[in-house]
Amino acid sequence: MKLLIIEDEESLRRSIHQYLTAEGNICDSASNYEQGYQKLSLYDYDCVLLDLTLPDGEGLLLLKYLKKINKTDGVLIISARNSLDQKIEGLSLGADDYLIKPFHLSELYARIQSIVRRRHFNGNSIFHFNEIEIDTTAMEMKVHGKPVYLTKKEFDLLLYFVANKNKVISKAAAIVHIWGDDADMADSFDFIYTHIKNVRKKLTDSGCKDYFQSVYGIGYKFTDK
Amino acid sequence: MKLFTSYNRILSVITLAGLLVIGFLFYQMLGQYLNKQIDDHLYEELLEVQDFTHVKNILPSPDGYDDVIVEYKKIHRRPDKRKIFADTNFYNPKKRHHETARYLKTELLLNGESYEVMIIASKFERQEEIKSIILIILLPVIVLLLILWLVNRILIKRMWLPFRQLLANIKAFNINQEKVFEPIQTNIEEFKELNKAVLNVSLKVKSDYKEIKLFTENASHEMMTPLAVINSKLDTMLQSNTLGKEESEILDDLYKATSKLTKLNQSLLLLVKIDNNQLQDKEEIDLEALINEKLNYFLELIQKRNLIVKTELIPSAIYANYSLTEILINNLFSNAIRHNYDGGSILITLTEDSLSFSNTSTRSALHPVKIFERFYKDNASEGTGLGLAILKQVCLKQNYKLTYRYNQDYHQFTIIFNQGKINPG
Repeated sequence: MKLLIIEDEESLRRSIHQYLTAEGNICDSASNYEQGYQKLSLYDYDCVLLDLTLPDGEGLLLLKYLKKINKTDGVLIISARNSLDQKIEGLSLGADDYLIKPFHLSELYARIQSIVRRRHFNGNSIFHFNEIEIDTTAMEMKVHGKPVYLTKKEFDLLLYFVANKNKVISKAAAIVHIWGDDADMADSFDFIYTHIKNVRKKLTDSGCKDYFQSVYGIGYKFTDK
Repeated sequence: MKLFTSYNRILSVITLAGLLVIGFLFYQMLGQYLNKQIDDHLYEELLEVQDFTHVKNILPSPDGYDDVIVEYKKIHRRPDKRKIFADTNFYNPKKRHHETARYLKTELLLNGESYEVMIIASKFERQEEIKSIILIILLPVIVLLLILWLVNRILIKRMWLPFRQLLANIKAFNINQEKVFEPIQTNIEEFKELNKAVLNVSLKVKSDYKEIKLFTENASHEMMTPLAVINSKLDTMLQSNTLGKEESEILDDLYKATSKLTKLNQSLLLLVKIDNNQLQDKEEIDLEALINEKLNYFLELIQKRNLIVKTELIPSAIYANYSLTEILINNLFSNAIRHNYDGGSILITLTEDSLSFSNTSTRSALHPVKIFERFYKDNASEGTGLGLAILKQVCLKQNYKLTYRYNQDYHQFTIIFNQGKINPG
């Protein structure tokens, strides 16, 4: 995938850049409105990560510009403002998703993939990971062609891990992904263990290899390596 | 004591005392004056007696006078010419009863013999006169005073009316509401000044409060970007393949602390948002469905702790903001799960107009007011200490009544939806 990161906070931009390029994506960076404007005019991207508060201009103007020149790049807004109005405005202007800071890189990557999937395959996407087949629209998964029944949360969790395959996902990130910000469950870190155990069991029971690896008790990795 | 009551009390004491003193003095003076008149009259009678004996050489008959009684008594010594005036009682033979009277006693030399002469005049009629005079004068004074008191009362009531209005307006003033302090209309300078002062204070308080809220909001927002940096760095570090056991533990703690900080910040922002009434759109919400949905949402957490959840739900709908209601239920659930012990139980009761969550806990009864304060929590709690504060704030904004009760090992939080409730039909 070809991605553009428009973010003024340098260290955050570097982290995102590092995380995304490690997966074989091509990443471009812009630290302000002007750079963003130029890169958007010159190149096409699969997805643009757009910070709304830039030192020399509003990020929403870049979004408007992008739509004006009829580019079909996917846009993921990353903002520190958890304001419903801004969210609605951003989405109505044609952004594909809205992520509020602070976020986990794994979450960011899963969302980017979801956007790109929707854009490229019209949302009708079935993808594979070895013997696992995942249909994101029907919310179904199959192992060796046989359906495995997962709850919605379990499906979300699996999809999240598959999207971030070969990456370590912290328990904190997994909790936020499944339960969002609403639940005040910051102290229930160990709880994700049970949840993953359930998914693991369902997969291995249906003849799937165990791809989950526990990493030092901090998180998990989904990998076939 | 009310100002008017206090003022009235002092005024009535002074008026009553003044009236008594003046009445007494007045009575005394009148009495003195009348005594003097009677004494003059008695003296005249004495002169008449003297003239009579001088001319006729006999003593006048004691009964020869209409309005006085004259008594003679022979004495055997030289007469003392001193005249003694004094009060006495005497028996009035005509009226057949005792009357107060005034007498003049003196000794006279009549026809070469010494006599003690006593002339007595009744004071009865004169006293009646005094009574009438006092009544005639005092009655109008008392009536006047009564009228004055009444007028005073009405006037003061009317004059204090702006003050009462002002007070009502001050009481109605709420820092959280958009409505500014309502000044009153008055022509009285003092009230105008008070009005102005209160108005200024209210505006200042409002703007200060707004500034503090804005500060909290901005500070929390500003912290989000550095938090995002920390988060992303932690995520990057986690990908390193060279982490030892020790580093992993540090990383885990850092994740926990960052999560908590993020949650804290989000909670503060949420409080500001609720305070600012940013969540206004209302809709009809099926509470029963929402609770069941949330029960499913928290299912894994409940299972993990082996909690037994009993629900007694009847279909109930409220007209409210969806986000706020969701926050309400989320917080009730989080609270009941977090402060429970493994294998404990939760009881959820939804009636037509109330919702209550009861949970078992290792802790006994909590302070019914303090638990809703911001950052109040027990040391064992890993929460932000804002959950119940948010709950309270949401209820406050929606005009719900939120109560806490400790009942037979259960901590019970009850919300009574009074306003915002859809009336049947």
